[in-house]
Amino acid sequence: MRAKDIGLASCHTCGLLQQLPPSGHAHCPRCHSPVHLRTPNSIQLTWALLISAIIAYLPANLYPVMTVTSLGQSQSDTIMSGVIYLLLHGDWPLALIVFVASVLVPLLKMVALLYLLFSVQRHSPMRKSQRTRLYRVIELVGRWSMVDIFVVSLLAALVQAGSLATIEPGVGAIAFTSVVILTMLAAMSFDPRLIWDHEEAHRDIT
Amino acid sequence: MTSPEQHDSLDQLPEAVVDEERKGLPIVWLLPIVALLVGGWLIYKTYSEKGPEIVISFKTAEGIEEGKTLVKLKDVKVGHVETVEFSPDLSEVLLTVSMVKGARPYLTDKTRFWVVRPRVGAGQVSGLGTLLSGAYIAIDPDDTGKQVNRFTGLETPPVITGGRKGTSYRLKASSVGSLAVGSPVYFRQIAVGEVTEYHLSDDHEYVELGIFIESPHDKFVTDATRFWNASGLDVSLSASGVTLEMESIVSLISGGIAFDTPGEQAATARAEKDHMFTLFANRAQSREQPITETTTFALAFSGTVRGLEVGAPVEFRGIRIGTVKAIELGPGPRGTASLVPIVLVDFEPQRLQAYGTLKNSPRALENRDELVSDPVARVHKQVEEDGLRARLQTGNLVTGKLFVDIGFYPDAPPPVLIDNLGYPQIPTIPSSLQGILEGIQQILDKLEKADLQQMIGNLNQLMVSTSNLMVVLEKDAPQLSDDLHGTLLDARRMLSEASATLKTVNNAASPRGEIGNQLQDTLKEITAAARSIRVMTEYLERHPDALLKGKGIK
Repeated sequence: MRAKDIGLASCHTCGLLQQLPPSGHAHCPRCHSPVHLRTPNSIQLTWALLISAIIAYLPANLYPVMTVTSLGQSQSDTIMSGVIYLLLHGDWPLALIVFVASVLVPLLKMVALLYLLFSVQRHSPMRKSQRTRLYRVIELVGRWSMVDIFVVSLLAALVQAGSLATIEPGVGAIAFTSVVILTMLAAMSFDPRLIWDHEEAHRDIT
Repeated sequence: MTSPEQHDSLDQLPEAVVDEERKGLPIVWLLPIVALLVGGWLIYKTYSEKGPEIVISFKTAEGIEEGKTLVKLKDVKVGHVETVEFSPDLSEVLLTVSMVKGARPYLTDKTRFWVVRPRVGAGQVSGLGTLLSGAYIAIDPDDTGKQVNRFTGLETPPVITGGRKGTSYRLKASSVGSLAVGSPVYFRQIAVGEVTEYHLSDDHEYVELGIFIESPHDKFVTDATRFWNASGLDVSLSASGVTLEMESIVSLISGGIAFDTPGEQAATARAEKDHMFTLFANRAQSREQPITETTTFALAFSGTVRGLEVGAPVEFRGIRIGTVKAIELGPGPRGTASLVPIVLVDFEPQRLQAYGTLKNSPRALENRDELVSDPVARVHKQVEEDGLRARLQTGNLVTGKLFVDIGFYPDAPPPVLIDNLGYPQIPTIPSSLQGILEGIQQILDKLEKADLQQMIGNLNQLMVSTSNLMVVLEKDAPQLSDDLHGTLLDARRMLSEASATLKTVNNAASPRGEIGNQLQDTLKEITAAARSIRVMTEYLERHPDALLKGKGIK
């Protein structure tokens, strides 16, 4: 039995257990915080954020994230060209870290969110606990993609030695930041309870 | 607690305040739209900024890196190298270059590309900035040609780029010497241009040089301008000393060209672009008038002509009027069987034309005109009337070089001419050295004829009288000797007295003498006094109160 089934919810702020109207949109009579059974518009919100993230993912990988100007010679690097550069110089552990954190993780995150959204919308009964675990991993790992952005912003702030060496963030850096932030927001707006919402229904059928 | 009670308590739970249900799309859908717009704008911007892609071929890709090397115009980026590839036959490298938008009209077949890398030449150092930043490709845009996409890069930077105003000219030289592309062109020792290229003429007869004179100096180049090779040092020895001429240290090393317009011709018209000039070997040559008219005379010398060379000057009272053309052996004067040196000289009447001052003297002008119009007749007349003769003179005492001097010698013997020489002749007289030798010979001849016998007799007489004088002196000698002895004795006595006096003084002054002893005592006293004063001051320094209290007891 779910709290939803008997129309009860506890306030997220003050914890007061209360009866909710069928619409599910209400606020707490005690502390006036919004109360709802499920995150409102969770699916729509997640979709919107995810689509924005996917759009931003293209320039994030196609445009340079960083332009290093050293002694009059400037070099622009995209994320992938940086990985290749590291790989060619034999720094494969570092290349692996950058590749995983900056290319693979955002990509997998978006794929995973897509999977979750589809499965929830299709009321899929399959692997509910695995899907819940997947969601937890997504939420946990998302923030680590910001490593790249931290490096770029730190370098850009620190290395400003005029004509000797200058580092400037590129368009790609902004796009990449948006990807990371948008996927994090998308993961946050997804309500994992939706995965389990059709448990009862299916059980009734079977 | 029982179940119904539980249910009751659940029913008694407070009811949540119902919110109005929001209709329509949530505002969050604006986000993907914004993302799409921004993404679309980025793509549009990238493509709209993308300029034409061109291919430049170079012999070598030294210093060029894919994706990094820039194409710059006046140090502003106008493109970058995308890829570096070989031509199919491996003879060249092909650079695919992506230019900025708007470059299209300037990419024509007249546009030139070259690689700027550090270059150190004798005359100049360039591209030092690329030592640190790496090489880049420079472009000299030109929008007047036909638009193309394939270019051949220059291996050396062009001397003239579109931005430089000036005029190019061509020079004809017998050899290129130490000139090179980039060698400076000087006008009054200021560099005003450069050598842009040189190549052999089509028939390989001479070297054709291209030069570029910067504006506004090109307006000083007229049809009468003379160019000469100013490479190296020009040392000339003259009566006023050694003259050393050099345009600049740079020209000493890398060669150079100088030009000037002779003063009396400065007003002539400005030379056209690509006008062909002659490059003279040196300044002096460039100053000479071009000689086109000559009249040849023959000179038959009786003595040697060693030291005379073809090209030696023919001078009249120190002014050059011609040149030695040939030196040969020819038949001697009538009646002799031997061969004599025949010197052919060119009389060059044009050398007489530049002297404007003659205009003030109608008579001199008349003479000159006659000489110029019919030199043979005029010379013949002067040989007969005024004793016009030629002779060899030493021009340089060190090298012994000779020149032909023409002058008037009214006292000269009548001319001896040789028949059938084929040229009009000028009679000769012996050279100055030859003259001196003849003079010495004459003196020797006179000496030979002098009366030596009488001279010896006179000499003998002189010896006898000298002997007599000596005998008289011998007689008076003893008396003189006694007087001298007395004087010497007196002198010695005086000296010994002086010596004794000096010894006394010496004794008194010596350390063991009376004065010495006293002096030493005094010095000792003074030393002691000084010491006690020093002791006292040191004591006072440490115990200033001793001035009042006296020396305390330790």
